[in-house]
Amino acid sequence: MKLYQMGLIALGKALNALCRLSGHDAGNFPGLVLWSIDKNYLKCFSVDCPIIAVTGTNGKTSVTNYLSRIFSMSGKKIITNSQGNNLDTGIGSLLLKSCDMRGRVHADYLILEVDESHVPQVFKHLKLDTLVSLDFFRDQLDRNGEVETLILKVQNFLKNNVNNNVLNADDPNVVRLCPKGKNAHYFSVEKYDGATDELYEAGEGKFCPFCAHRLEYDYYQYSHIGRFKCPNCGYGDVDPEVQITSLDFENNKFKINGETFSSKFMGIYHLYNLAAVYTTAKLYDIDSKYIKKAFATFAVNNGRMELFRLNGAELMLNLAKNPVGANMTLRLLNREKGEKELLFVLNDNVADGLDVSWIWDINFSVFNNVTKVVTSGTRAYDIALRIKYSGFDEGKIKPIPDLNKAAAEILSTPGKKFAIANYTAVQPTRRALKAQIQRGERK
Amino acid sequence: MKNKLRLLHMYPGVLDLYGDSGNVEALKYRCAKRGIALEVNAHELGDSSERLIENADIIYLGGGADYEQQQLADDLTSMKGAIAAAYERGAFLLMICGGYQLLGQYYKDSNGKRIPGLGLFDYYTAASDKTDRCIGNIVVETELDGEKYKVIGFENHGGQTYGVKTPFGRTLCGSGNTRGGEYEGFMESGKTNVLCTYLHGPLLSKNPKLTDYIIAKCAGAESLKKLDDSLEEKCRAVLLKRLLNE
Repeated sequence: MKLYQMGLIALGKALNALCRLSGHDAGNFPGLVLWSIDKNYLKCFSVDCPIIAVTGTNGKTSVTNYLSRIFSMSGKKIITNSQGNNLDTGIGSLLLKSCDMRGRVHADYLILEVDESHVPQVFKHLKLDTLVSLDFFRDQLDRNGEVETLILKVQNFLKNNVNNNVLNADDPNVVRLCPKGKNAHYFSVEKYDGATDELYEAGEGKFCPFCAHRLEYDYYQYSHIGRFKCPNCGYGDVDPEVQITSLDFENNKFKINGETFSSKFMGIYHLYNLAAVYTTAKLYDIDSKYIKKAFATFAVNNGRMELFRLNGAELMLNLAKNPVGANMTLRLLNREKGEKELLFVLNDNVADGLDVSWIWDINFSVFNNVTKVVTSGTRAYDIALRIKYSGFDEGKIKPIPDLNKAAAEILSTPGKKFAIANYTAVQPTRRALKAQIQRGERK
Repeated sequence: MKNKLRLLHMYPGVLDLYGDSGNVEALKYRCAKRGIALEVNAHELGDSSERLIENADIIYLGGGADYEQQQLADDLTSMKGAIAAAYERGAFLLMICGGYQLLGQYYKDSNGKRIPGLGLFDYYTAASDKTDRCIGNIVVETELDGEKYKVIGFENHGGQTYGVKTPFGRTLCGSGNTRGGEYEGFMESGKTNVLCTYLHGPLLSKNPKLTDYIIAKCAGAESLKKLDDSLEEKCRAVLLKRLLNE
């Protein structure tokens, strides 16, 4: 048995070396090969430190990056998949890179972003110390199936397999993972000025998962995230350990437990991410000064609230894999007072989910001072139509499937711009924007 | 021609997957361009909506998750008489996916349990293996007032529907009623006021002629004012080229 496991590790390491020699980034490949030999290959690794995993529909990459940054700043040796290789095979490939020939992984902490559907598979073999659960939204229905199935899968797994749960107190799909108990650590953000009394964007989890009664909300922050409670059985009546308060959107400041923090970004979903980061860091006694510094200065970029500038044009690009993600960028767009333009890049490759009907769940009913929309990607016309049917003047919509031409168009005039790109569209969009900026600066 | 239409959207708060609310947006938009006001009402679980059903020109049901579909089956069957009467007097039934299944005789789930449908039509649906869902882009050729029309959408259903004698159309790409099958959806022969289909997309977003067909039937109009559909036509051309190599 031991010999077999060492053989697998040796093979994986050899594949890694081959990839490196030929100048390729190994990515998921070595993990994929081992997985195809033995579906349980992750048991070959032995990890001698706590594992912190971050899961949920939206925000995984950002939270993982912030945590990695903060833990590193405080002097810890960490191993992380900050580039988002978050499937079973991606995590295996990461461990192969980091382990010795006997499969031992040495670090102070492993901080892993894990796809929500892969949580049970990965942590069947690796002992999970803390699971950070951010949110569960509808996402790529044709690939992931229905949200309910996904939650049940994670819920069943968690019963015996985790020491700490860090949970979003305002998502009924998350609280149910661990509604009570001393290993539950809830985080929350106080009601902000964009919160609504009625559900404003498509949401999940309308019914109590325990008694099936309709849930009641004091307010919705965004989508189905908000202060909810079941009037019948009391589900949702939890006491957050960490709450972000005193939100100051003018000066990018807020408080946690009386202490003031400043933040590079103030989107409501970003604040929930930061609350998750704070709760997790505190669980491991990380000094607040590192958290403060990261909140004030660190940006993930990589298509997450990433800024691009050219000749007076300032564009913010944000990845959106699902309606909630797109709605978050539209909330930022609508908060911006002056005129602005939008670029929307929509692909329907396998990794995106082939079904693009989710764009009809994006709420375009408020679209303040938008003077032009450029659409691109393999489904440039679908998103153009969706925006037309929301009532936006079709004369101001320019579908340009060629991404380089679309990037040139959106950056051709000065002013505020927002860009939304879905999963496989985000890296090509970044490249197209960067190339256009280089061309523009050379002129 | 009527200048006001009433649409009753059944369970929009529960059956709201796959962007099906976009069908209402498309109808509303294209009605408004013709000076027709579309009043949208909702029936939710437990509401008493007899009057709304009685007054509706269009009754619309979208698709949803299995869990939610089970929850509303009882509520829906309690309105069987009212819906059948509305259909008889000419209200248009637009039924997508779950709505399509619920109008038939029954739905047999993967454990063999039968969930009774409204029984308005003869067909019935049985769940296939979990691994065997029909998922993907789909193109269906139908006939609207004697004219052939390709309807583009997306299907995602585990249920296989059998016993359909008068389908909505012929499947050119994708599965339709049964996995790898030849036909999709249901329309009743001799009747022009029912359309049952598995197509999401949403259905009416890329098929303006179908949207107009429904509006014309409901408004009692011979023809409708032409609209600028150049964006729709480009969208269709790109997809038909890709899916059918046209």
